[in-house]
Amino acid sequence: MPQVCLYFHLHQPHRLSPITVFDVGNHPDYFDPVSSGDQEIFEKVALKSYRPMLGLLKKLLNKHPDFCVSLSISGVFLEQAQAFAPDVVALLQDLVKTERVEILAETYYHSLASLYSPSEFEAQVLKHIATIEELFEYTPRVFRNTELIYSNDIAALLSTFNFSGVLTEAVDRYLHGRPKTQLFASTTPDKIPLLLKHAQLSDDIAFRFSNKSWDWYPLYADRYLRWVEVYDQHEYVNLFMDFETFGEHQWADTGIFTFFEQFIADFLARDWNTLITPSQAFEPYAERRGGIKRTKSILEKRNELPIYDVPDPISWADVDRDITAWRDNDFQYDTLRIMYQIEDDIKATEDAQLLDQWRKLQISDHFYYMCTKWSADGDVHAYFSHYESPFEAYRRFSIALADLLGRLSALRKTTNGAQDRDRSIEWYSKIIGLQPVSTTPAR
Amino acid sequence: MIGWEYPPHNSGGLGVACDGLTQSLAKSGTQIQFTLPYNFKSKVDHMTVLDCVDPSWLDEHGVLLENPPFLAYDQAIPQSAPNLKTDMGMDILRTLPQSELERKVYQYADRVTTEGTNQSPKYDVIHAHDWMAYPAGMKLKQKTGKPLITHVHSTEYDRSALHKGSDFITKTEYEGMVMADVVVAVSHYTKRLLVERYRIPASKIAVVHNGITPLVYPPDPGTHHFASERPVIVYMGRLTIQKGVQYFIHLAKTVLERNPEALFVVAGSGDMYHELLFTTAREQLSASVLFSGFVRGAQQEKLLDRADVFVMPSISEPFGLVALEAAQRHTPVVVSKNAGVSEVLPGSIAVDFWDIEKMGAVISHLINDRDHHKQTTHKQLSDLDSATWDNAARRMRAVYRSAVLGK
Repeated sequence: MPQVCLYFHLHQPHRLSPITVFDVGNHPDYFDPVSSGDQEIFEKVALKSYRPMLGLLKKLLNKHPDFCVSLSISGVFLEQAQAFAPDVVALLQDLVKTERVEILAETYYHSLASLYSPSEFEAQVLKHIATIEELFEYTPRVFRNTELIYSNDIAALLSTFNFSGVLTEAVDRYLHGRPKTQLFASTTPDKIPLLLKHAQLSDDIAFRFSNKSWDWYPLYADRYLRWVEVYDQHEYVNLFMDFETFGEHQWADTGIFTFFEQFIADFLARDWNTLITPSQAFEPYAERRGGIKRTKSILEKRNELPIYDVPDPISWADVDRDITAWRDNDFQYDTLRIMYQIEDDIKATEDAQLLDQWRKLQISDHFYYMCTKWSADGDVHAYFSHYESPFEAYRRFSIALADLLGRLSALRKTTNGAQDRDRSIEWYSKIIGLQPVSTTPAR
Repeated sequence: MIGWEYPPHNSGGLGVACDGLTQSLAKSGTQIQFTLPYNFKSKVDHMTVLDCVDPSWLDEHGVLLENPPFLAYDQAIPQSAPNLKTDMGMDILRTLPQSELERKVYQYADRVTTEGTNQSPKYDVIHAHDWMAYPAGMKLKQKTGKPLITHVHSTEYDRSALHKGSDFITKTEYEGMVMADVVVAVSHYTKRLLVERYRIPASKIAVVHNGITPLVYPPDPGTHHFASERPVIVYMGRLTIQKGVQYFIHLAKTVLERNPEALFVVAGSGDMYHELLFTTAREQLSASVLFSGFVRGAQQEKLLDRADVFVMPSISEPFGLVALEAAQRHTPVVVSKNAGVSEVLPGSIAVDFWDIEKMGAVISHLINDRDHHKQTTHKQLSDLDSATWDNAARRMRAVYRSAVLGK
């Protein structure tokens, strides 16, 4: 009886090519589509997941007038789709034309900018929105951050955007026993409405579906429907997961496509069930399109929502639903530190190519690969990584970073003219986090 | 000659030294039968290579289960303890072979003895390289009565960074040297260590410094190879405690205070690799200290050609051939005082490995003062004139003579 909100995430990172120390300073292509494996992987996943699942969604949209779904599509996904499988972009455009497929806003580079840099975060969100508008003639109204990362501070960053709502994870330690199936509001003055992921029911599909040692294996649509229908009609059951769940994480031979098709048919066959998109849930709390000034009545309505107070960042990843998948060990802390320390200098060069390379290095996956947590999450990390180990991920990223700093330094010299040595030294010291000392040669 | 590794299957200096020495010895008329614990597939014409392979090392198709070289210098992981008896005291237990490697050394001794006995009319002296070959050398000496020379390229004290290493290996080294007619040390540094730590009489130890094979093609020094805008400081060697590579990371921090644009490259592999990566990140050096992994051949040459400074901060280094290779490629060498190579490379700059401040200052001086850099390079190049394998072979033939005549 609940209102079910389906949301699937499409993303492929730009992986690092096998660059070596000898490439530093020799203009290596960090993201060569062939040697990085990007093209091969994208084509494989397109075959196994993107095409069949988008085809299935199209079929369901045709068949069921009540069917709707929301998608988030990273900018770097769209770049690769355009390069390696343009038909996937065309399929997405077809879906959006039905007006029953909602596209969400996010950071173009699937980055962790929200944790480090308000200015970079804003730039990436705007770039993403512009890309979606251009490709789909559609303006996203709802936001989802990279891996559903969210905190009070991030809500404050979002306040400037006027989104109608935000998606994130339901984390028990911040729910304080309250049901996650209701709308919440942020702690910020504008009280941004929030929809929280139903982890149990989402992960039943995303992670457990093909697990033969799971008590409920094999999962059939009727059983799953019973679990969903436990909830009341005023409740939201938010099934958020990777798009690649369908056909890639769970292969076709697990029956995932049949299961999904059957579940939708069974669910919609009953009058009291409804599917919604996030915008529909947020509708009563949103001002109209066209930028009419936020009225008092909207804020009053939002004030009625329970507050989701998240002091430390949460996400949908790993057992702890925190950000330790990307920022936990020294590899991650130090590379991220340097990455965001050079932001102003990168932007000051006004070199579009350098800016793009720096931003591609911000893709959260690079830091995910460096994760050294080896518990239940280790298997998941290993599944998603093309590196033999987190050490190799760090080793290769450092090489790219060293090269990037060299390029940046050279461009700064060109821009600033013959730069004196002391200024160059001061700059390097700042970047690597050291205090410069006297440059007099020692004996 | 009883060997353990030979190029291209070498883990480090031992194989290279055996190559250089045998080439020059052969040139001066020495006939060499060289044993190896694996099937040697490459072609050499300056000596006869005898494969001494125990059948238990092969699979059913006659292929070695493990690829050479058999990492005699890595921390051996105890895998089995054969012949264990409950009534053995601790003093016996501690000297039992603890690993597959140590057992392999004894099986190798048996194979070498069989092969060496068959070939005995063809040689006058048994020459065993490092502890893996000593049991074979001792056994063969007992069997044939020919004089034994144990050649010390490296000791267990070096490998365990002057701490106590494997009792079994130390004991094997000691027995080999005691039973030898002459002990050859690769440096005076090593000779001193053999006298002080192993109580071997100084009169029994001859020093034969390693040489270096002259380059066939001229080096290509310069900054054009990579990172041309930044000073590049290179470490090259196994990533083990002996080599003091951990000091290299701390050294980087010191140098970066003066030369924040400097780039440090750690080349090699070893059991400290993961720890070094963590240290690098913890010290916030992720964009300043890079790891190239193990390099050989053209890549190794390029790295030494490119280096503005080569650093060898070893805690204990019997020789350190790679320092000569760096010198050949016009790269100033900063070397630990506990390294034998400085005896043949007086133009290099020797510093105590633990004196990070001093070593950092020396490196910065080389980077920032081009004249000093140039002078150091030139001094080193003239040192190399006498650091030849022909000189090493001449001394070695004198050792052979004394061993045969002393009998």
